Amino acid sequence: MRTPGFAFVLAGGVGSRLCLLGERRAKPAVPFAGKYRIIDFTLSNCVNSGIYDIGVLTQYRPTSLNRHIGTGRPWDLDRSRGGIQILQPALGSVESDWYKGTADAIYQNLIHLRRRRAEQVLVLSGDHVYKMDYNILYEFHLASGAGCTVAVTEVPEESVHSFGILETNGNGRVVGFQEKPKHSRSRLASMGVYLFDRASLIRWLTEDAALPDSSHDFGKDLLPRLVARGEAVFAYRFPDYWQDVGTLDSYYESNLAFLSDAPPLDLADSDWVIHTQSADRPPVRIERGGITERSLIANGCRIAGEVVRSVLFPGVTVARGATVRDSIVMQDTTIGRGASLDRAIVDKQAHVGEAAKVGFGQELTPNRACPQHLSSGISLIGKGAMLPPGLRVGRNARIGASVSEADFDGDVPAGGVINGPDAMH
Amino acid sequence: MRDTMALVLSGGGGERLSVLTAERAVSAVPFGGKYRIIDFVLSNLCHSGAEHVGVITQHAPISLHDHIGAGRPWDLDRRSGGVMVLQPYLTRSSAGWYRGTADSIAQNWDVISDRRPARILVLSGDQVYRMDYRALLETHLERRAAVTMAVTPVPPEQRRRFGMVTFGPDGRVRSLVEKPETAATPFASIGIYLFETEVFGEWLRGHPVNLVLDVLRPMLEGGVRMIAHEFDGYWEDVGTVGSYYRASLELVSAEPRFQLADQRWPILTRDEERPPVLMREGARVEDSLIANGCRVAGTVRSSVLFPGVHVGSGAEIVESVVMSDVVVEPGARVDRAILDKYVRVGQGAVVGHGDIAGGRESEWLEGLTLVGKDAVIPAGARAGRSVVIGVGGGPTDFEAGEITAGTVVPNRSWFGVAR
Repeated sequence: MRTPGFAFVLAGGVGSRLCLLGERRAKPAVPFAGKYRIIDFTLSNCVNSGIYDIGVLTQYRPTSLNRHIGTGRPWDLDRSRGGIQILQPALGSVESDWYKGTADAIYQNLIHLRRRRAEQVLVLSGDHVYKMDYNILYEFHLASGAGCTVAVTEVPEESVHSFGILETNGNGRVVGFQEKPKHSRSRLASMGVYLFDRASLIRWLTEDAALPDSSHDFGKDLLPRLVARGEAVFAYRFPDYWQDVGTLDSYYESNLAFLSDAPPLDLADSDWVIHTQSADRPPVRIERGGITERSLIANGCRIAGEVVRSVLFPGVTVARGATVRDSIVMQDTTIGRGASLDRAIVDKQAHVGEAAKVGFGQELTPNRACPQHLSSGISLIGKGAMLPPGLRVGRNARIGASVSEADFDGDVPAGGVINGPDAMH
Repeated sequence: MRDTMALVLSGGGGERLSVLTAERAVSAVPFGGKYRIIDFVLSNLCHSGAEHVGVITQHAPISLHDHIGAGRPWDLDRRSGGVMVLQPYLTRSSAGWYRGTADSIAQNWDVISDRRPARILVLSGDQVYRMDYRALLETHLERRAAVTMAVTPVPPEQRRRFGMVTFGPDGRVRSLVEKPETAATPFASIGIYLFETEVFGEWLRGHPVNLVLDVLRPMLEGGVRMIAHEFDGYWEDVGTVGSYYRASLELVSAEPRFQLADQRWPILTRDEERPPVLMREGARVEDSLIANGCRVAGTVRSSVLFPGVHVGSGAEIVESVVMSDVVVEPGARVDRAILDKYVRVGQGAVVGHGDIAGGRESEWLEGLTLVGKDAVIPAGARAGRSVVIGVGGGPTDFEAGEITAGTVVPNRSWFGVAR
């Protein structure tokens, strides 16, 4: 089978609109759908498409991603030839600096193409949830004679402002490219999936690197410039599910979408397995009195309370009398006896004390620190936070990572903020 | 442990676990919702720092080979040492098939001594326990033993099943009696032996067959320094249908003696990549272990569900063990049964129907219903208690609509021929 020989995966994304979830990890490392990280979908797409030579470009808080990827075992990417390599900015390469933009990140790593024979190179974003066979993109690319093919998906009119929007002519050739326009006639959004001819990629990146007023970003400068001067850029329309989990609300909704009887992606598809780093955990243990309905519950969880319409990552404990509703609870968090969660997102290794209530009352005051991202009623609890027994936390509240019981002086009202010991903002 | 080689005896199969071992060795039988029985021993070896492991097998080894592979999950995929599966082979002078435990070791003596181990740890692949073999090794070295055997106290009514061991205050073994009518000691040998390689090699000459009868007993009579090492943790031999079922159900009791979850000593296995459990609308699950990949819309009580089991709405699974990728269709009922992989229970069908019955010859089933791999129970059909439905059983076996208590339906090969 013919496949593109090499893929760069851009995994440096700062998930600033994900608020606390993206504070200590890059967006591709954000946990998703009960056991995965967002980057798993892209990496699994690569190996399921037969691409076993991947460079992952990181920059922002890479620790969590490094640990997750490790040697690449889960994806069968621990290989003697090819495999997976983490490409962190380094001194002494080209400009010896942090990556200025996505195009610059690839430019600084062009050396990795030197000894590779790949005639086509994939440039992927590690930020999205979708299942795609890149060979179909590849066939399209070869058939259209493109120098660059951009995968696009249709988005609703009201969200064109958050994407790169492409205009195409009848045969798929891109004739216009606008990054995050206020309005647009076209609704075709770039999925952050690009296939380049190797020679064109090298030529275009070198040229871009020399331009002093470029921001060295594919979406902002490089692609609009190529399109404007009539280079052979084509759009491939991807027909299936694609999700940018850019905001807290879309993160929440797209996780809960997996609880429906017709989930957006079949995670159990044995022909297209989504691989991830899974720790050895025993099966889910449901104890006497446990109630579980319409929920995703990963191995290692122990449930003695009630879990409804929720997503539980590995190793979560829900004690007797506790209730978890419409919530997302990440790895190894414990929910104490009689405690309750309602529309909450709780990060890893947190503890909700006995009889504490998170998502309390009906008041919907937007979050004081994060009003634009935390206003729909979700309460957010950071990694390792310890909530004292009996505490009440209102909606749209934000409890920082590593907050200890002593950091609370009474209940947290709707929209309230408790900052952890090393809050970033 | 670096200069010790472990040999895991996994040859047994055949009749012991009925249809569950029709196509696999006992040690490859699934247990505990996602493991194989051999995982417990391999995990013990991994956590005890073992580097050289041989798995001796001969009965239906495909499933075991598949599972062990290069030994990755247990960090036994090593450049030097690591795990190897030792299958019988022919030479110009030797006979091939293993005649017994001692013979299986003797036939592999060349391969074993190539690794130049100072000691050989002999283990059984069909037991469930957590043990740090370094403690056994410590006793062995401290007491300057030629052979050290692990012993554990067992209740009086079980002593007839074991080799019973008496030993002095210094730990020196005085007697070893196989399956006695009455035992003078509560200590049973649990099939865990550490030998000095040199001594072991000598006693393997002369074509011994059985390790206990033809090697250990003569050693004891010959005055070889044999030491007992007391072990008081959970230990269970799950090599019979009854003990397998009871050990499985104990895992879902309120206070199981054995905890699968222990982050310091995790049970390692070849994990399949499956999504988290999906509890759908109408799911009612209590006192159960449910592995990733399951989708449940019905009722599950006091049961163990392996990866990828689908439970339709209104279906009910009670006090049962259900292995990977079984489908229980809407309205079906499974009661006190063991269902092997890929079994399909049709709409409204019942597995484990009616009262416990069957004659003396089905006593060993303890009233359970066993369904072999790939069997299909047609919609609306019923299988009684103490029934065994062979591998690949299907609609033709249910022509009467019901299989009555005490019946045994023979296995079929995957291409349909009765065996």
